Amino acid sequence: MNQSKKTIDFGFSEVPLEEKVKRVKGVFDSVAGKYDVMNDVMSLGIHRLWKRHTIELSGVRPGQTVLDLAGGTGDLTKAFAKRVGKSGRVVLADINESMVRVGRDRLINEGIAGNVEYTITNAEALAFPDNTFDLATIAFGLRNVTNKDKALAELYRVLKPGGQLMVLEFSKVTQPLLAKAYDFYSFNILPKMGKLIADDEASYQYLAESIRMHPDQDTLKQMMLDAGFDKADYLNMNEGIVALHRGWKY
Amino acid sequence: MPHTTPQTPGLFSLSLSKTVEFALNQALRLDEAQGAAFKDFEDKTFAVTFTDLGLTLYLFFTSYGVNVQNALQGEADARIETDLPSLLGLRETGRLSRVTLHGDVPLAEALIDALTSIEIDWEEHLSHYTGDLIAFKVGHATRSAMAATQAAKRQAGETLKEYLQFELEVLPTASQLQRFGDSVQRTQAAVDAIETRVQALLDRL
Ligand SMILES: C[S@@+](CC[C@H](N)C(=O)[O-])C[C@H]1O[C@@H](n2cnc3c(N)ncnc32)[C@H](O)[C@@H]1O
Repeated sequence: MNQSKKTIDFGFSEVPLEEKVKRVKGVFDSVAGKYDVMNDVMSLGIHRLWKRHTIELSGVRPGQTVLDLAGGTGDLTKAFAKRVGKSGRVVLADINESMVRVGRDRLINEGIAGNVEYTITNAEALAFPDNTFDLATIAFGLRNVTNKDKALAELYRVLKPGGQLMVLEFSKVTQPLLAKAYDFYSFNILPKMGKLIADDEASYQYLAESIRMHPDQDTLKQMMLDAGFDKADYLNMNEGIVALHRGWKY
Repeated sequence: MPHTTPQTPGLFSLSLSKTVEFALNQALRLDEAQGAAFKDFEDKTFAVTFTDLGLTLYLFFTSYGVNVQNALQGEADARIETDLPSLLGLRETGRLSRVTLHGDVPLAEALIDALTSIEIDWEEHLSHYTGDLIAFKVGHATRSAMAATQAAKRQAGETLKEYLQFELEVLPTASQLQRFGDSVQRTQAAVDAIETRVQALLDRL
């Protein structure tokens, strides 16, 4: 098929495939510096709790090798680096150089060095050999990836047998009333706050829309199984505002 | 590798593990011997089970400090079974009054000695949990749900505070900082308003 004719959702507006990659990059370029603030705003400040939950559930231990894909400014990388220690290794991989730069500077500033590598990489074509990682995470990143099936298959490939993938992502709110309230928040309040904080209403609008377009819990679980994972499950956090999907390679 | 599945990893055990981690790291930072007693534990993993709470925390040391979490892939090197009153009494009595050790027993003993040697007021650190702990122990669905909600609320407040206190420096310039300060106030007000509305909606269910 002629790829350039193929359109794909960019938030609610359909755009040609290669346009999406560029636009997503644009969104993150424009927010990289204030990204951490944005995360707090988007999640009402509780993304830290969701991340902590993810880290703890990973059961990560000293000496392990971890991939933090779409790692952005490195929240998870930082926590994993402390946990795997000097005998382990964490790779922060992201498609966007400005995000990685902000992340690297921040981590070095905080004394995290020696066991972290930074690499610019597209989730759809990971530059790592098969069976490399004990654990791979992609937090608030999958919804921005154009070809999610390809990314999931790549994640499966780079995991060691016995390894685990954790996908943390905004998902479908299960409680109807809360779903309404949350929608109202994302589409009316969030972009306004984006304007206030980052002077960037459009990016926040995109974020709200991309959340809405992201596959729901069961769809994503099935996508993981289709990508090769031998087992997959998910758990909802805050009524499904965010879901943590886990996939295992045996 | 077998995966040690955690007990339902609710917000309660999550914030407990975070508190224990914080308490230990703080004590190590303040320790006169700079945590020398813990030097030999690098990369060693411990499972500490509170039998009265039916809850296990996994604890391990790297060069960055102590980590505490409620799951661990594979087996811990040493397992310590005790209960909360024993931990709370550690400082006063200099030992865990009720304890069983498994796995690498000398290693577990060494950890307990090291823990005894540093100044940690467990009672103080865990004081705001005592209500929650009781709720947790009773295991009554509503009461533990309430405890979880309280913990979540406290946590959300804390993260924002932590954020404001320690991470403002990510913002590049003074004028942006000023603008950020203003918008945080407005954001906070908006968040509060939303929270109230969501709560009101939930209350009507
Ligand atoms: C919302 S941020 C999340 C960052 C971080 N994981 C966190 O939770 O704080 C999304 C990240 O995904 C990255 N990203 C988007 N598309 C990507 C792709 N195809 N491959 C790798 N990273 C991608 C963006 O550059 C951005 O840093």
